Amino acid sequence: MNRTIITLVGKDHVGIIAAVCNYLAENNINILDIAQTTVQEYINMMMIVDIEGYGKSFGDLCHGLGEVGESVGCSIKAQHEDIFDKMHRI
Amino acid sequence: MIGFNEVLETNAMISQEKLDVRTITMGISLLDCCDSDLSRMNRRIYEKITRLAGDIVSVGDEIGLEYGVPVVNKRVSVTPVALIGGSACRTEEDFVEIARTLDSAAEDIGINFIGGYSALVQKHMTRADRLLMMSVPKALSCTERVCSSVCVGSTRVGINMDAVRMMGDIIRETSAMTADRQSLGCAKLVVLCNPPDDNPFVAGAFHGVTEGDAVINVGVSGPGVVKTAVSKVRGESFEVLCETVKKTAFKVTRVGQLVAKEASRRLNVPFGIVDLSLAPTPAVGDSIADILHEMGLEKAGAPGTTAALAILNDQVKKGGVMASSYVGGLSGAFIPVSEDSSMIDAVVSGALTLEKLEAMTCVCSVGLDMIAVPGDTCAETLAGIVVDEMAIGMVNQKTTAVRIIPVAGMKEGDTAEFGGLLGSAPVMKVNGFGCADFVNRGGRIPAPIHSFKN
Repeated sequence: MNRTIITLVGKDHVGIIAAVCNYLAENNINILDIAQTTVQEYINMMMIVDIEGYGKSFGDLCHGLGEVGESVGCSIKAQHEDIFDKMHRI
Repeated sequence: MIGFNEVLETNAMISQEKLDVRTITMGISLLDCCDSDLSRMNRRIYEKITRLAGDIVSVGDEIGLEYGVPVVNKRVSVTPVALIGGSACRTEEDFVEIARTLDSAAEDIGINFIGGYSALVQKHMTRADRLLMMSVPKALSCTERVCSSVCVGSTRVGINMDAVRMMGDIIRETSAMTADRQSLGCAKLVVLCNPPDDNPFVAGAFHGVTEGDAVINVGVSGPGVVKTAVSKVRGESFEVLCETVKKTAFKVTRVGQLVAKEASRRLNVPFGIVDLSLAPTPAVGDSIADILHEMGLEKAGAPGTTAALAILNDQVKKGGVMASSYVGGLSGAFIPVSEDSSMIDAVVSGALTLEKLEAMTCVCSVGLDMIAVPGDTCAETLAGIVVDEMAIGMVNQKTTAVRIIPVAGMKEGDTAEFGGLLGSAPVMKVNGFGCADFVNRGGRIPAPIHSFKN
């Protein structure tokens, strides 16, 4: 298991989560958890994914998600879970 | 499982409050590079630095990408050069050759600063120490990345006044030799009392002789994060204020600890310490003075500033020590004037004076840092400012430092522009009364009574 957190923020419209999920499915990345809120017109989404089956580098993942983000007009970021775990868990 | 709000909090710290890892610094011992032949020694130094730290920049960037937290600087510190140059260096120019070697090694591995062009002369000076000190103005004027530090005092042995007096002249000469760059050389020169062996922050970084062959030390930062946290407890009691700073420092330090461990693993170099410092930058929102303002002071320098800084420094340590297995370096709040936009503002508006800054150094982590003074400030006055700061360090058993820049051709009220992380500094008023007869006495100030603990 290699858990990574994907966060997305941007103006909401149809197909944003679908685009991200499609990209993850195409790259053999399993979604473990997903949460989202929409405030006014803006969407804020977080996914916990397992990138164990992803064959490429972390840089490639950031780049690929960046392209997906651009195509749906949102900012998408991927980070290893450790940074959140270390900061918020003793 | 990590919650949505926790992820949002961490990412807000990074994107809006400028949380970053300020530096990954690799300390490298050069003791095994000693040689009586200067060019052979220079080759060894270059080879060792580039071999051990060749990947430090790519590894730092890789970690930054994977955790989504900027790793701003990647740096190297080396064994104090005066300790290794003794048998090869016959002249000041020989030492300058070592500085050039350090500079080219730093350039080739892609780092912006390398620390350790240093001498430890708190008690007496060897011939090599003296040569290195005399070579500092030239070394700092003909290199870009080399940082120099000279330790002139400690609680254990007292203050070497001959060295302090020399430093007055050396600071002036460094200023003159870099006059075309607003005396930038002095921004890379620091005079220290009680320096730690594992400080990752330049200009005072060097790799102490008690350290191993190589070590990874990490300096965390995050004044913006602390400021935001403090802004949420306006009007609350000191208990709430302290608790807030402590919790925030814990979170910030955990990121540093994570990055330090990762860097150590990937570079295959042992982990040393995390330095829990709040280090400002000239960027808006990355300021220590803003925290002091948020704590309730109209501006940094107002009555109450020393107490506010004491609280901040102490709570940062209390939160940080629990977050990291090994804490070291300077650990506390830095108060460099030129690198903190609101400190600059406080000086320009008359709220903050040199004397108040000196009082603040009794309770902050370092000392008088990045302070511009008129270019005609004499060597004796500079030595007087230095020895006052050294006395604070010696008596209070803490690290103190002076990084002062007499800016050639400038007078009080002018502004020196250093650029980048070094920022810009308003030229501050210096007390014009003389101290020459005092600093020219020569010899040593004995160790204070509380140093005798055996």
